Amino acid sequence: MWNFLSLLVVYVEIYAILALSLNLIAGYTGLLSLCHAAFYAIGAYVTAVGMTAGGWNFWFALLMSGIMASILGFFVGLPTLRLKGDYLAIATLGFGEVVKNVIINWDSLTRGPNGINGVPAPVVFGIQFGFDTRFGYVLLYAVFVVLTYAVVWRVVHSRFGRALEAIREDEVVVGAMGINAVKYKVVAFSLGAFFAGIAGSLWAIYNQSVAPQTFDFMLSVMILCMVVLGGLGNSLGALMGTVVLVLLSEAPRLTGLTSVVPAQFNQMFFGLLLIVVMIFRPQGVLGRKRISYENEVARILERRSM
Amino acid sequence: MGLFHLSLAEMAQHLWNGITVGSIYALIALGYTMVYGILKFINFAHGEILMMGTYAGYFFYLALNGDGVYPWSLWLFLISMVGAMLVSAFVGITVERLAYRPLRSAPRLAPLLSAIGVSIILSNLAAFLFGTKSKRLDYPFQNETILLGSLAITPHQILIVVAAVVLMVILKVFVDYTKLGKAMRATSQNINVAKLMGINTDFIIALTFGVGSALAAAAGMLVALEIKIYPTMGTLAGLKAFVAAVFGGIGNISGAMLGGILLGILETFGVAALGIPQGLRDTVAFTILILILLFKPSGLLGKKEREKV
Amino acid sequence: MKKFLLGLSMVLLVLGCGTKKPTEIPVGFIGPMTGDAANYGKLSLQAVQIALDEVNAEGGIGGLPVKLYVEDDEGKPEKANAAFEKLYGVNRIYGFVGPMFSSCALAIAPKAQAAKVVMISQSATHKDVTAKGDFIFRNVLSDQLQAEVFGRYVAEVLKIKTVAILYIKNDYSQGLAMDFKRVYEQSGGKVVAEETGVQGDKDFKTQLTKIKEANPEALYIPNYVAEMAQILEQAKQLGLKVKILSADGFSNPEIFALAKDLADGVIFSNSADEASVKNPLRENFIKVYREKYEEDPDAFALNAYDAFKVLVLALKNAYQEGNGTIDRNKVRDFLLNLQNYAGVSGKITFLPLGDAIKNVGIYVANAKTKSYKQIAMYKIENGKLVEVK
Repeated sequence: MWNFLSLLVVYVEIYAILALSLNLIAGYTGLLSLCHAAFYAIGAYVTAVGMTAGGWNFWFALLMSGIMASILGFFVGLPTLRLKGDYLAIATLGFGEVVKNVIINWDSLTRGPNGINGVPAPVVFGIQFGFDTRFGYVLLYAVFVVLTYAVVWRVVHSRFGRALEAIREDEVVVGAMGINAVKYKVVAFSLGAFFAGIAGSLWAIYNQSVAPQTFDFMLSVMILCMVVLGGLGNSLGALMGTVVLVLLSEAPRLTGLTSVVPAQFNQMFFGLLLIVVMIFRPQGVLGRKRISYENEVARILERRSM
Repeated sequence: MGLFHLSLAEMAQHLWNGITVGSIYALIALGYTMVYGILKFINFAHGEILMMGTYAGYFFYLALNGDGVYPWSLWLFLISMVGAMLVSAFVGITVERLAYRPLRSAPRLAPLLSAIGVSIILSNLAAFLFGTKSKRLDYPFQNETILLGSLAITPHQILIVVAAVVLMVILKVFVDYTKLGKAMRATSQNINVAKLMGINTDFIIALTFGVGSALAAAAGMLVALEIKIYPTMGTLAGLKAFVAAVFGGIGNISGAMLGGILLGILETFGVAALGIPQGLRDTVAFTILILILLFKPSGLLGKKEREKV
Repeated sequence: MKKFLLGLSMVLLVLGCGTKKPTEIPVGFIGPMTGDAANYGKLSLQAVQIALDEVNAEGGIGGLPVKLYVEDDEGKPEKANAAFEKLYGVNRIYGFVGPMFSSCALAIAPKAQAAKVVMISQSATHKDVTAKGDFIFRNVLSDQLQAEVFGRYVAEVLKIKTVAILYIKNDYSQGLAMDFKRVYEQSGGKVVAEETGVQGDKDFKTQLTKIKEANPEALYIPNYVAEMAQILEQAKQLGLKVKILSADGFSNPEIFALAKDLADGVIFSNSADEASVKNPLRENFIKVYREKYEEDPDAFALNAYDAFKVLVLALKNAYQEGNGTIDRNKVRDFLLNLQNYAGVSGKITFLPLGDAIKNVGIYVANAKTKSYKQIAMYKIENGKLVEVK
């Protein structure tokens, strides 16, 4: 039982990193990105290829995964982040499909539809990770979740973060104030992509193999749902959304009802949940956090008077 | 490299194939473009709505015609196609009423996610109700290939192109010359002014969804003869048709028609002539999408829109 | 004090739960029950359910019923992981049939190995699957062996000089196509065109047009039935007249519903049906299956049925040897030593690596009777094609 639960916890941790990073892009900056699974895929494959063919060690692979994903995020973001709303959503959707297609077709590098297997489990602080060290994974990945949360928090509570929120609220005004909105958007996008890449790396070494089927459009949708469910622009909400959605997607298995509930009901319920939440509580369960400007002003005044 | 690899005969074949594929894209793209024109909203569930209608058409045909191929099968098929169109129209209108109308004034993300939710529900519902195995429709005629030299043309392909042209002409006439059509154009130009002019915009919107879904269902029936009917049949075609709509100029009906045909041709030629591996065929569509969005977001026939502050 | 006693009794209760007497023998099934491959999962599960009923009708294992726990992997590795962890962690299975996809098999094989849970896949053919450990088996004709036989057969027996290949980029078709190409060309044949498609593709006219230009004698399409039906129809529409060759995917009777007359005369390779003359195991099984489910099983369903049966056999053996307790190692040992088990999917002997040795049968499809006829059986001996009489 504990082993199954620890698998679920690890999944929650990996998805939490994805949700937190997408929250930075979609929640705080207001960019409708439907290709987060693509950065996740890049991270996973960089680690898989690097550790199998390149003999990299885990930490190096992890770093490279994040960096490669963010580089791709940068180059994709530069042209497409000029687009607004729905157009951006579709462009990112298209990009996500392209990445998946390329992975399937670039046989020499990615082994195509077969995927790459035999990714070695890492050695952390002298402990060889593997099937028997499930709890080790839980702890190690928790560190990464905390790290991601902290970085996002720091970014959001900075001048840069405030600019992002301003861009989300009204990009035209921001432009009129002389801020190059696209620049900020690209940075946020690349940063989000970086953490998605990290998550991909963590997936690769946990699963010890990677295959293209994992990284489809529905995954991007699911991550977006985790963010929206908890409340766009609310990191705690993203975490909550992650827990809820992972539990939901494994619900039949958890309750032992896999043979009883017709297979499609789980997904139908998910679809229904989406519609209902959008109609009745679009701001998500925890709502959107607004940085209180009154407090900021009070703080500045206090500092002045000291 | 390039076109010189191909003989003239091969090029002609690819061109013809591209036109037939493109006709399907065009019919589906029309639904997207009309809905976007009025609501500035991408109906993600368009593909699934057409899939439902196609299943209905399948059952109609089976009930009317049974298993064999008779001289009157083609007419029964066309009648079933109309039935499919009506069912899809109904599904489209219902979806609009239940899942989109409440979100008309919500931020962009809400109707988008709602549409995704609808698409998930519909495809799983179909899998649950009708099973995951593909359903096959016999051609309602002898589909013997006609050879013009070495160019292979099937009656099915002729049916697709003819039906698509007929439907598109009917649509054009409806939109350009009837009162309702005028109301649709007015609403898509400026919904608020249309309301002020006394147009019942809710009705027009429902009508738009109905017509768009019906056209897509026609495409579904036409193409089902070849690709069979299964719960996820609408997804990829829907996505590509969307690219076609953007390509031609989203919100522009002629644009959707042009975009669809062009996309079909480019896709087929791109793979054949440029040696793009077949696996990346879909990538052609998405690459076109990204390029268009970057260089001419208003599409081939669209007009530039200035964002007002 | 009260609180302490309460806590203690709770702990004892929980511990006590772990030492209850077993009332059933848990076995698992992992496969795609939803998603695009749901139909394959369903066909296999149905076969396993027939096997389960038969086993329990005969008294189960040592009087205890065998309980089947089914989990859906949706054809995705991350779901397969969860499925395995649940079956092992919660249901404590001794072994399972599945998964069907190689990508899922590769993901959970190391876990099954570490947990000493026997895994027998009825369809995962990727080279590395059984190498993951000695608890990992597969009861499926290896794609490599299929290609070794069929490549030679096409060149030497059918004497076809030029072949075009149209395969789908998935973990089944691609391997077959590549191995076939290698063997066929080594045997003197020439592959004049090689085209690909992606899983889910419906339109192959572009590829077929190019193949038509290359003018081959035959077309090899080692794919799943949905794509093959499309290819057969479109080849006809384009006026492409060639001999059609395929692999064990063609044994899925859905092809007759989808392609009708076009499936007639297609020659393909599949696991040999050795019992067909003397002991009609396969025919009987298909009859039972047809009556119960109103559809025919495919090759993977046959494999799944046998996989379940040999697993139960191994469990029975271990149960008897252990006087009521099952030593997981003994289950594995039994399977490793299994020789010439007569199954509906052919005679099964497991190689040390965990692959089932099977002879390869050559079949012809008959669209009028919607059935297949085996016309020959082959194996490879010393690198040469040898017919098995």
